Amino acid sequence: MSMEAAIKRRSEMKRLIVAALAVFALNSAVLAASVTNRDGDTITLRVTEGADQVDLPIGPGETVEFCAGGCFVTFPGDVREVLTGAETIEFVGGAAQFR
Amino acid sequence: MLICLWLALALGGMARAQSADGPQALLAAVGKQVDEISPKIVAKANDDSELVKLKVQLEDLAKQVIGVAVSFRPRLGEINKRLAELGAPPSDADTPEPQAVQEERRRLAEEKKSINTALGAAEDMSIRVNRELDQVSQKRRDLFSNSLSQRVDVNFAFGSEVVTAAEQEAQALSRQFKSWWQFIWKFKFGSMLAATFLALLAASVIMIGGRLLFLSLYSRDKEVTEPSYLSRLSVGFWSTLIPSVSFAVFLTATYFFFDYFNLLRADVRPAISAFFNVCAAVFFIQRLAQAILSPDLPNWQLVKVAPGPGRVLHWLITATAIVTGLEFIGNVFNRTLDSPLQLTIAKSLIATLLVGLLIIVIAMVNPVPDDKGGRPQPWPRAVKLFILMLGLLPMVAAGLGYVGLSRFFSQQIVITGAIIVTMYLGFKSAAALADDGAFANTLLGQSLSERYKFEPVMLGHIGVGTSVLTNLLVLAWGLPLILLQWRFQWEDIRGWIISALTGFQVGSVTISLLGIFAGILVFIFGFVLTRWFQRWLDGNILTRGKVDSGVRNSIKTALGYAGTALAGLIGISVAGIDLSSLALVAGALSLGIGFGLQNVVSNFVSGLILLAERPFKVGDWIEAGATSGIVKKISVRATEIETFHKQTVMLPNSILINAAVGNWTHRNKLGRVDIGVGVLYKSDPKAVQEILLEIGTRHPLVMKNPEPFVLFQGFGEKQMNFELRVHLADITNSAIVQTDIRSQIMAEFDKAGIEIPTA
Repeated sequence: MSMEAAIKRRSEMKRLIVAALAVFALNSAVLAASVTNRDGDTITLRVTEGADQVDLPIGPGETVEFCAGGCFVTFPGDVREVLTGAETIEFVGGAAQFR
Repeated sequence: MLICLWLALALGGMARAQSADGPQALLAAVGKQVDEISPKIVAKANDDSELVKLKVQLEDLAKQVIGVAVSFRPRLGEINKRLAELGAPPSDADTPEPQAVQEERRRLAEEKKSINTALGAAEDMSIRVNRELDQVSQKRRDLFSNSLSQRVDVNFAFGSEVVTAAEQEAQALSRQFKSWWQFIWKFKFGSMLAATFLALLAASVIMIGGRLLFLSLYSRDKEVTEPSYLSRLSVGFWSTLIPSVSFAVFLTATYFFFDYFNLLRADVRPAISAFFNVCAAVFFIQRLAQAILSPDLPNWQLVKVAPGPGRVLHWLITATAIVTGLEFIGNVFNRTLDSPLQLTIAKSLIATLLVGLLIIVIAMVNPVPDDKGGRPQPWPRAVKLFILMLGLLPMVAAGLGYVGLSRFFSQQIVITGAIIVTMYLGFKSAAALADDGAFANTLLGQSLSERYKFEPVMLGHIGVGTSVLTNLLVLAWGLPLILLQWRFQWEDIRGWIISALTGFQVGSVTISLLGIFAGILVFIFGFVLTRWFQRWLDGNILTRGKVDSGVRNSIKTALGYAGTALAGLIGISVAGIDLSSLALVAGALSLGIGFGLQNVVSNFVSGLILLAERPFKVGDWIEAGATSGIVKKISVRATEIETFHKQTVMLPNSILINAAVGNWTHRNKLGRVDIGVGVLYKSDPKAVQEILLEIGTRHPLVMKNPEPFVLFQGFGEKQMNFELRVHLADITNSAIVQTDIRSQIMAEFDKAGIEIPTA
């Protein structure tokens, strides 16, 4: 292989790696758990993350992201769920549905 | 092997079945562990390393609780699905449901309720574990701030008490060691001899082996009058590191052998361990000072210091290290003997005052050599002020009664200072290594170029690589050490490293270095695989199948694009990146493509069309605009053409698609060559035609069919214009044929007396 070809191949390789890195950097994002309220009324979730309990109101059509680690959530009607931080949940017709 | 696999699977299945059986039992077990840990938090409130261990245990428990709760999810999903299928109970009582349906709904609702209760229990347990975790954090914070901010009243009444306590403690200490010594003398004499012998053996092996292996790396050659900065640096670095490491290994071996023969009684063990640690640290600092100041061989100094003051500085630094070390050993005695607090405080007070004084004396030394050979000058003002401040800080803190803080300061000045100086040496060596030609002059570089005939450029690359590696090594070694000094616990640091690798959170975004790394690795693997497959297909299948070189090239290139794209996609998904989020990036990019990248994209697409349509292939003779030459390579953005002047021209692919391109060798290499000639009016045109036709037909490279043709082109002012048109099987021979025919025309016309007009 000639020197020229070697250099060309190397620069091509470098470009590819840089491009790949850029894509990774842009995308290495795993979002937290998200809950979307598809019902007409505001719902209130009770979120237990660590030792803290917080009430989290979600308006109609709103999406809320929370709980990046693991947490317990109590939906209206005293329905409990545990989230590990990667779930997408829709609240439809008074019940939580995992997507 | 299959049996093993089957067994493993079966066992795994059993384990899973068990854990699914008893989430309640698991929760109870977690609760029991929390019950055990809880009192320990209070009991070990003064021991940071114990608290860290408890923290790790609690974090694990918190994870277990979440795991138990998650294990309910599949069943809960099933129940909800079934309940939705059954639907709500009918509202009117007229159409009663079948008994079975009612029964099933009731059973499912009950199970759902029990799971909900269990989740509630898990939630409570999670809260409890996390409260304990908060408690641990609180205790650790308290511990840290207490040890630094605790203030003691230093008064004169304090003095006499301390003296009595010190006397008592000295007696207790001598009793302890005397009894230990008698114990060894009477009962363990043989073991002691054996242990001592083995330790000395280990020491001599390490000493001699180390000298044989590494002496050339760090010996200071007296003959060399002006060693380069890099060799001074590397000698300084290695002459600190290698003896220190071998000394530490020797101490460890000694401790190990004494421990192995049960010579270390529990009451003296901590003191001896502390003594060994201090010995290692003092030795290291002494070597470091020696390396930097090199008072005996001033040529090898890293810092320009006059020889006399250099010697003084060397001893002052060593003395500072020894005082700090003695204080450390004293602290261990205090702890094992449960001595009164006043004694501990007084000892720390004296030690920190001494360290402060020594540092102030260091600041007062005049070390800078005078250029004119006069008396050495004092430190530069800023450096002197800084050292003075370092010395005064622990003294002032001690004077105000903050003995813990003062002790912390003086220890950090000695230990952290030594680590930072070593790291600085490492970084400097790395920077010097990256310099042009520096690596080629090192021993390793010389032997590499001799043995493997490496080029200087290659050696330069290796030098830069080594430099980067050295930087990383120094960081990986120094940073944890400094963090450990600053009262971070090893478990903390390990936790950070692990979380950095497996995923840490920035806001609501989780970044996993390990995932990204795996993704990149998979991508590179896919990329290499594609290249290999390309080469294999091209070399084996396509060549043997006598496929046209243009088609071969197209297939190869297309395969390369497809393979790289595939490898990229797999890599991205291995990195745990949601491909749907790529859509966002694509959306953002499309704007950029619309404006700036328009040309690049158009060229790329044109390149793909060229590969598919193949208006020309590699090796063709094409003409595009003013450029004419042989196609060398069709790549993503541009096509490489070599003109007959051997100039390489890059033609953007879009030009080759949008404008007319002439290809001399598209389907075949057939081509016509026209050769014009003028003759005077006195000649016979019929004879001229015949001669020309004859010449054309006679030439071996001219095709018989279509046969040569002579055109009587027109009447010029002084001459009749003829044109001989011949077809060639291979147009690339045109130059030869033209030359041959023209010279033959000249010769034949001369013979027949036909004249070509001149001017």
